[in-house]
Amino acid sequence: MSKFNVLEHEIVPEHHLVPVEEEESVLTKLNVTKDDLPKIGINDPTIKALEEIHGKLVPGRIVKIIRKSPTAGYYEYYRIIVKSVM
Amino acid sequence: MISLIWRDTKKNVELISKSVPCAYAIDYMPADKIDTAYISTDKQNVDYEVKISEILKYEPMDDLIFKRKTGLKAILKISSIRKINRVPISEFDMEEGFKELTSFAMGEKYQVDYREKEAFSLSPEAKEVLEDAESKGYDIPVSLVNKLVKYKKSLPYNKYEKLLKRVDLELKKREIDPFEAVGIIAAQSIGEPGTQMTMRTFHFAGVVEMNVTLGLPRLIEIVDARRIPSTPSMTIYLTEKYRKNEEKVRELIKNLENTTIIDVADIITDVGDMSLTIKIDRNKSRERLVSMGDILSALEKRKGIIYNEIDEDSISIKLQQESFKMLYQVQEQLKSTPIKGVNKISRAIARIDAKEDAWVIYTQGSNLREVLNIEGVDSNRTTTNDIIEIENVFGIEAARNAIYREAENTLSEQGLNVDKRHLMLVADMMTFSGTVRAVGRQGISGRKSSVLARAAFEITSKHLLKAGLLGEIDPLAGVAENIIVGQPITLGTGAIDLVYKGNKK
Repeated sequence: MSKFNVLEHEIVPEHHLVPVEEEESVLTKLNVTKDDLPKIGINDPTIKALEEIHGKLVPGRIVKIIRKSPTAGYYEYYRIIVKSVM
Repeated sequence: MISLIWRDTKKNVELISKSVPCAYAIDYMPADKIDTAYISTDKQNVDYEVKISEILKYEPMDDLIFKRKTGLKAILKISSIRKINRVPISEFDMEEGFKELTSFAMGEKYQVDYREKEAFSLSPEAKEVLEDAESKGYDIPVSLVNKLVKYKKSLPYNKYEKLLKRVDLELKKREIDPFEAVGIIAAQSIGEPGTQMTMRTFHFAGVVEMNVTLGLPRLIEIVDARRIPSTPSMTIYLTEKYRKNEEKVRELIKNLENTTIIDVADIITDVGDMSLTIKIDRNKSRERLVSMGDILSALEKRKGIIYNEIDEDSISIKLQQESFKMLYQVQEQLKSTPIKGVNKISRAIARIDAKEDAWVIYTQGSNLREVLNIEGVDSNRTTTNDIIEIENVFGIEAARNAIYREAENTLSEQGLNVDKRHLMLVADMMTFSGTVRAVGRQGISGRKSSVLARAAFEITSKHLLKAGLLGEIDPLAGVAENIIVGQPITLGTGAIDLVYKGNKK
């Protein structure tokens, strides 16, 4: 950790925590279960930064990522927080 | 806000915790007024936060807790103590700027303003168009919505509705079909131009010492997710104060380049009287802005040496323990003793970037985390070509962007046009599991869920044997498995199954 906020860097897309109440609707929209979602480690620098804002996060929460795309403008991507990645 | 940081034993911390509020006698007199202090129990991390209500000059008192027995200078009145999440010392801005805490230090905790980035925002008009489309069940990407805004104003409503419908239709026509083998198409689309790429490394913009791997070797490096690329390099953007000021940029470069003693001096070994002499090269040291003091402070950290003689441009050293073996060892170690600069960065050059109209620094070697903390560096734009380093510093999503960006740059630099979507697919697959995985045996292909697919790829016997031992089940859902057993593959029309439901009565 250091002096800079990783979320501000131009190579890092927007990360937003999905509220627990909205998780269900996200999963129905995508027609998947939580296990199918791409993963993000709890020790990921962006998750650490989100923890500074939202307090301690637990594995199983969903993070919404708003990616910049050269073809579609912006689009949403979802990742699930997991304990460890490998 | 400046606070006091000190190292203490676990025993003392326990004692304080038990008897809070209490008075604690220490052997250091803080210069400023302090109300918060931190205690570290190992040298690198801070574990406890202490609130201090008052600082008194030391005098014998009742109910004192002593840090040590002699040399006491001050008494801290501690009102509360609590255990906090471990914070590394490097997060404190210390006056001395050291990495290890030995006794007392004054430092300021870095305050980072964590906010969620909100770069993506649509104009109100664009939002209306998006809502119109959504209410009709159309899924129109943001890039098109921005283009449709002007038609909403200029066209009558029924025509605008028709336009939306048409856009949706055209989009649907161009959608990829269900069960299309996108991975194979992407692989071929990247593989074919790959045959036309060069196999050489290139010099960087006329600077002879700086090489940049390009072409096919670089592309292979990216998809292999190498831990260290063959030519790591950074692009350092500068803050507004620095970017137009040539003098400051030159100074920054000198502070970036890793300088060791051998770079600015000769080391002469005299076996006769067992001494080492560091003879400073005036020209080289001036060029690198290294002074005698810098070298002396670099040597300070070394133990077991005695200064014999110090004059204007040479330092003579003797060893505490006289032996030829030690003499040789110390000489070798002295050569690589860092004086200044950032570790791993061997060279840095500055150029005026035409697009930026400002100075940009390019380096050979990469150390993102340290460079970002240097004053004058724009920590929001500075990047490296080392994907794994980006993953460690900025996270998996940034690594995904870096893979895409590097692959795209490598291909377009050679004048090859590969559809962006293929590269995005590769980048998404490589980062799916939350960490960067190579394409190949060690990564994506080696971790497929199907036994037969893995066995068909590489090391057949190992996979089959392991699957037999563990009793793995293969549902025959993929392509390779079905070819092996002689069934139609689950792609395109082969993906459709016929299911007989039986009579309904």
